[in-house]
Amino acid sequence: MIKTESSHINYYGHQPGSQVENREQKKQITQRAGAARELYFETKSSVSMEFPYWYTRRWEELEGEIPVIRRAEALKSGFSHLTPVIYPGELLAMSKSSYLRGSYPMPWLSEAFFMAAEDKLYKEAQESGKLTADQFTTMGKGGGNVTRSIGNVISIAGKFGLRVEEMPVMIEIAKKWKDRSVDDVGHKYEQLVPGYSEKEALMRSVICMFDSGYTLPQGREVINYYYPLQFGFDGLIRRCRTRMEEVAGYPEMDRLYYYRATMILIEGLQQWIRNHAEEARFMASIETDVPQMKEYEEMAERLDWLASNPPRSFHESLQMIWLLHVAVLNEDAISGLSPGRVGQVLFPFWQRDILKKVITREQTLELLECMRMKFTAIDCFASMGVVGGVLSGNTFNNLCLGGLKKDGTSAANELEMLILEAGISCDTPQPTLSVLYDEKLPEEFLLKGVECTKIGTGYPAWINNQVAMEFLMANYGHEGMNLEEARAWSIGGCLETSPGSWMPLELDGEIHWIPGGSAPATSVGVHFLSLPKILEVTLFDGMDMRSGERIFPAHGYKLDTYDELWNAFRDYFRRACHVLTLTNNIQHDAWRKISPSLVNSMLKPDCLEQGKDIGQMGCRYNATFNIESCGTANLINSLASLKKNVFTDKTYSLNEYREAILANFGYHSAQETGSYSLIDQIPNDGYDRWKKIHRISLDAPKFGNDDPFVDEIMKAWETWFCTMTHDFRSLYNEPMYACQISVSTHGPMGAVTLAGADGRLGGTTFSDGSVSAYPGTDRNGPYALFNSATCWNHATSQNSQLNMKIHPSVVKGREGSRKFLDLIRSYLRKGGFHVQFNIVDSRMLKAAQAEPDKYRSLLVRVAGFTQYWVELGKQIQDEVIARTEYEEV
Amino acid sequence: MSFQSCKDCRYFLPVDVFYGLCKRSKNKITQDDPFCDQAEKIAKCKFCLNYSAERDFLGKCKGTTLAYPDMVAVQCADFGWIEAN
Repeated sequence: MIKTESSHINYYGHQPGSQVENREQKKQITQRAGAARELYFETKSSVSMEFPYWYTRRWEELEGEIPVIRRAEALKSGFSHLTPVIYPGELLAMSKSSYLRGSYPMPWLSEAFFMAAEDKLYKEAQESGKLTADQFTTMGKGGGNVTRSIGNVISIAGKFGLRVEEMPVMIEIAKKWKDRSVDDVGHKYEQLVPGYSEKEALMRSVICMFDSGYTLPQGREVINYYYPLQFGFDGLIRRCRTRMEEVAGYPEMDRLYYYRATMILIEGLQQWIRNHAEEARFMASIETDVPQMKEYEEMAERLDWLASNPPRSFHESLQMIWLLHVAVLNEDAISGLSPGRVGQVLFPFWQRDILKKVITREQTLELLECMRMKFTAIDCFASMGVVGGVLSGNTFNNLCLGGLKKDGTSAANELEMLILEAGISCDTPQPTLSVLYDEKLPEEFLLKGVECTKIGTGYPAWINNQVAMEFLMANYGHEGMNLEEARAWSIGGCLETSPGSWMPLELDGEIHWIPGGSAPATSVGVHFLSLPKILEVTLFDGMDMRSGERIFPAHGYKLDTYDELWNAFRDYFRRACHVLTLTNNIQHDAWRKISPSLVNSMLKPDCLEQGKDIGQMGCRYNATFNIESCGTANLINSLASLKKNVFTDKTYSLNEYREAILANFGYHSAQETGSYSLIDQIPNDGYDRWKKIHRISLDAPKFGNDDPFVDEIMKAWETWFCTMTHDFRSLYNEPMYACQISVSTHGPMGAVTLAGADGRLGGTTFSDGSVSAYPGTDRNGPYALFNSATCWNHATSQNSQLNMKIHPSVVKGREGSRKFLDLIRSYLRKGGFHVQFNIVDSRMLKAAQAEPDKYRSLLVRVAGFTQYWVELGKQIQDEVIARTEYEEV
Repeated sequence: MSFQSCKDCRYFLPVDVFYGLCKRSKNKITQDDPFCDQAEKIAKCKFCLNYSAERDFLGKCKGTTLAYPDMVAVQCADFGWIEAN
């Protein structure tokens, strides 16, 4: 029995019983996938230099070549030289590199961050503010993270292992990209933006966390598998050749190079696939176990076929989409490449196989579990700030279920039921699942989703289909999106609403309209903006008091009234958006020129039709840049506290608040206590002086309680934010939009932010999501929280995010499932965009924090993704523990 | 020639930077375990006649191009075994 104090946990409702409640019983994983999962549990994140070596070597050989051809040849060289690896028992082959959980640096994007710490380049990067977030990020200490160097393995960014034999070549390759990478070229030109120094100050203060142009230039989008599924790779080469001959010598000559580049790339992909077929044959040749030998031979035949042709079966179609997924991930550092509505894309293949008795439901489930293991092993090599501070080691491959068909009827199908079943029996972080909730979805399907969420996987998340469609119509209508096309949408990344299109898959003479992504990355631009930190800087007239650095010029307001404070805050926020939009546009311009997308472009409509890659706006929809926020509830609560205590009741002056904030309300810093949630902080000797102002700040109205005083502030913020973003233009000359997900940034951003007028202490983690209440402050129950969360129109933003933690006993059994579905429905019917749940006894999380080795397989939901507890950094662990646990709904 | 370990064997199936599986025995082995009597070298730059070592873990391919000794060269069209192998 786990014994953990419950006094340091925020509860709503009665206190739980003395024994820690387990989650409901999970279903048994198949033997094959179970073995794969055991292997995964023993595997560390590993980096290799094979791909970057061959990429760079070919790139250098082609000095002077047309850039897009040079890029294609470099990619071809990388793919075709990857050492193929096939693991025993696999039904789906191929991965990013020759390691199970492998990845590799892409110095053509950015070379500085993985240089040795003593290297001059690394120091330069630190000074420019590019690496500041790394210093305030904590990585998980367990699981597959290589947290320290040992023996012949070097730890990079506290997560990745690199063989010592490959370290020198990594440095040498990186140096070849100095002044030539997207990062360096973008940096060179972004400095031409007037007021550029303000941008660097924003990065150093971690008001803004990342440049998206060279860190994760693609992703947060939905892949489109249609073209290879329909035409096969040989068919695509034929299409490119035909188009190339049509455009050769005519104006808009870039089309000629684009088609030629795509053909070169496909040749590389084909070689890569055939190399794996050859390896499968080799494995068969030395195999003594006859069934395993047969599986290797079948795999070889399957891969050989797919290297040229479209798939003939469900198994082949699943193998095809998996290898396409890996192929895209290997062309750029990418997080959030969502497979989208896979159950609907592959349904025609599966239905045909079921009717012909080529496959059974049991075999389907086993394949889907194998697919989960493949997705779970995806890693993305990036700096600690990106991998830990944003991704928490996850890569956000979101598989969506439900929604509507092209004709407006329910799109849920039997294969999707099996995908949910596989998510239950094979509970792993990826792909995470999301239900696109619509009133037309059948009850049986929704209850299956509830069954999956209940066992504590954190997925599926529940997303409002109609709200998303309204957002898409508003933002992409001018590019031709109509209602029918809006129905093809899906979630890209953890929670980014992304446009889709209906593609006519022809199978046995019948057309099946399948959905797929039809836009580039839908979350690039200004990432992320710390709202509490901007308010802090506003209170101190443009100064970051933690570092003593001036961020903005003095705002010129006396701050005698709440309206002045509100105006000053908005002025600073707008200034930040202005300079960051311009500098990011330049970085993305460098990206599309130096490292244009070819694999992803080949898949997205209408790049092949137009002869333009994604960077040249070849996609059907291009209004995809956004401004992303973090710490909403802390901002709102702080504004509410100041409005009440300073400007209305006049209990304290603004100066007294400034002093209390600088004194951290008489507490030790979070860094000193080593804990990042409010409930674990320790007072210092000066506490008595600040006790009263801290108490009154904590008692001020808080968001999440259906309190009009604070909800009006929330509404005013959201209305302004979701409108003002349209004033900024993306690289593609489209208006930008608001994006409101914290991912993991509320950890490191909180770490650099002083105490707030809401009573939050300095260095502690912000509230998660964007409409989640601050931990422990939602005291009026879930329906009051829902009312507060929906006090503004969620369709005006790309997303909103609500995370809730519910004790397992509340949703137990069949009756609990119905109650749970009612709860979800009530939020979505109010117009909420998204809600997700941790079904867990918080005391179990406390126990897991104390003894991580005993909880290797424990999953939790963070903010848009599910992750193994042991792989989360402490900042996020503390925040998840602190979230209000609902004992009653 | 450097010490030969499991990571230099064609029957080594890499899992991560620490360990892998023997393709024949299916046993878990570390990258740095010594060659067994059934081991066979895998094509790597350090076994290639085009490779010349320069300093620790770095060298040249054909005397001009950066290379490193432990890179698997199974897919390299120019790979040729050093005669001694």
